[in-house]
Amino acid sequence: MSDTLPDPLTHAEWTAALRDGRLLGQRCGACGNETAAPKAACNECGSREIETVELPTEGTVYTETTIAVAPAAFEGGYRVAVIDLGTEGNARVTARLESDADIGDAVAFSDVLEVDEPVPVFG
Amino acid sequence: MHQARIVGVGMTNFGVHDRPLPELFSSAAFDAMDDAGVDAPAIESFYLGNAMGGQTERDTHLAPTLASHIGLAGIPCQRYEDACATSSNAFKHAVRAVEAGQHDIVLVGGVERCTPTTGLDTPEMTSVFASASHRQYEQPTGLSFPGVFGLLTTRHMHEYGTTEEDLAAVAVKNHRHGTYNPRAQFGSETTVEEVLESPIVASPFHLFDCCPFSDGAAAVVVANEEAAADLSSESVAVSGVGHATDTIPLADKADFTATQSARDAADQAYEQAGVGPDDVDVVELHDCFTGAEVLAIEALGFFEDGEGGPAAANGETALGGRIPVNPSGGLKAKGHPIGATGVAQLVELTEHLRGEAGERQVEGARRGLAHNLGGDAGTTIVSILEVDA
Ligand SMILES: [Zn+2]
Repeated sequence: MSDTLPDPLTHAEWTAALRDGRLLGQRCGACGNETAAPKAACNECGSREIETVELPTEGTVYTETTIAVAPAAFEGGYRVAVIDLGTEGNARVTARLESDADIGDAVAFSDVLEVDEPVPVFG
Repeated sequence: MHQARIVGVGMTNFGVHDRPLPELFSSAAFDAMDDAGVDAPAIESFYLGNAMGGQTERDTHLAPTLASHIGLAGIPCQRYEDACATSSNAFKHAVRAVEAGQHDIVLVGGVERCTPTTGLDTPEMTSVFASASHRQYEQPTGLSFPGVFGLLTTRHMHEYGTTEEDLAAVAVKNHRHGTYNPRAQFGSETTVEEVLESPIVASPFHLFDCCPFSDGAAAVVVANEEAAADLSSESVAVSGVGHATDTIPLADKADFTATQSARDAADQAYEQAGVGPDDVDVVELHDCFTGAEVLAIEALGFFEDGEGGPAAANGETALGGRIPVNPSGGLKAKGHPIGATGVAQLVELTEHLRGEAGERQVEGARRGLAHNLGGDAGTTIVSILEVDA
C-alpha cells in the first residue's frame, strides 16, 4: 500500500484518509520517531527525512477525559482520549472515545466524527 | 551582565472588572510605578502580556495603546502572547534587556478580561481558551482546556494512584490561602466534600478543581542594580529565569506526567540562580486545575515523581508547611486573568520577600519561585526572586 501514500503528508491528505477509514502518520528516517499529527519536520530531532506511514487502527487508551462543559459548537458529555497505537516509534493519536474503555483497554478506529473537521473515533 | 531587580509592584483585585483594558491596566501600572518611585519619563521600554484581547474584545495592537493611556507613548512597546504564560514571557524579555544593559528601567505588565463582561458566555470563552490547543489535531475533537489537564491528570492518577481526594485537597488548601488575600476572587473556604460534590467540568475535574474566569491586571517595574540603588523602594533580585517548551499536540509528548517544559525551565532557573529546590522558601505556581499543581510540585523538584498527590492533604504545601505553595490562593482562589497571571505571581512573591504579605506572609521568606505554564504544557517559564542575589 506504500505506493499509494501521499508524500508529503498534508492535513488535507490526512483527513481524506480518515474518511476512508485509514489512519496515516509519519516516521522519521533519522531517529525513528512517529507521529499521527503530520509535521514538516521531526519534532524529536528536526530531520526533514520523514516518510508517510500507514498507522495501525487498533491501540490502547493511554489517557482519557470526559468533557462536560464543552467549547462552543460542541455538546458536552463526550469523551476525548489519547490512543497509544503500540508502534515502535511511539505514535499516539488524539481521538473521540465512544466506549467506556479505561486506560490500558484495547480500542479500535471505528468511525469519523465531523463537527468542525473530521476526527477519528475509537471505541 | 547587569543584575535585574524588581523595584515596584502593583496589581488590581482579581474578579470582575467592567472597564476597558487601558483603564484596568492603568491601575496596576501606576501602583507599580508609584511603589518604585519612578515617573513615566524614567521608563525606557514597556513589555506587555495579553493573550486573547483580539478574540475576546476585538482589541489588538494593545502595547502602544496601553502605553499611550498611561503617559508612555513614544518608547518601544511590545506585546507577548504565549497562552497562560503570556506575561511571564513579557517579564523574561524585560529582564534580559535589563541584564544586557539595553535598558535601565522598564515596565512589565499584563491585563486580561475573561468574565462575561467581555460579552462572551461560558461555551464561547471555553472555545477561546481551547484555541491554545492544536488547531487541526486537537480542537476538532472538542477538547477543552480543563480536558487537556484532565488527560494529563488522569494519566498521573493511573501511574501513581493519585486520587480525586488528593486533587480536592489542593483546592481546599488554595481556597484557605485565598481567604487571607484581599485581592483574591474567592475569599471563602471550601471542603473536600464540596469539591467532590460540585459538577464535573472535564473528568477528573469538578467545578471546584478549576480556576475561575477572571478579569485583572498586574505590573512590575524592573531596573538594573544601579538604577535600583538610586530608588528609595525596597527591591528584590531576579536571580534566575528559565523558559522551555514542549511538543504540541499533546499526543506527541514523550511523557504526560513529566510536564517536561517545567522541568527544563526549572533546571535553567535553578542553574542561573545557583540554587536548588531545597533553597526555595515560597512558591507561586500555575494551578489552573488542581491536577496542574500536583504535576508542577513534582516537576519543580519539591516532591519525588508520583509523590505530589498527597502533598496538599498532608499539609506540606500549606502556609506553615514544609514548602508553602500558592499563599496567594493561586489561580484557583486568587483568579486567572490569563495575561495578568504570570506578573501577578511575581507581585505576590515580591511582597513575601519584603515581608509585606500580611496574614499570608511566609515568615522569613528570602527566596521565591514562580512557575507559569501556557497551553497544553507547551510553554513554561520559571522565575526565581531573592532578597539578596
Ligand atoms: Zn527524528
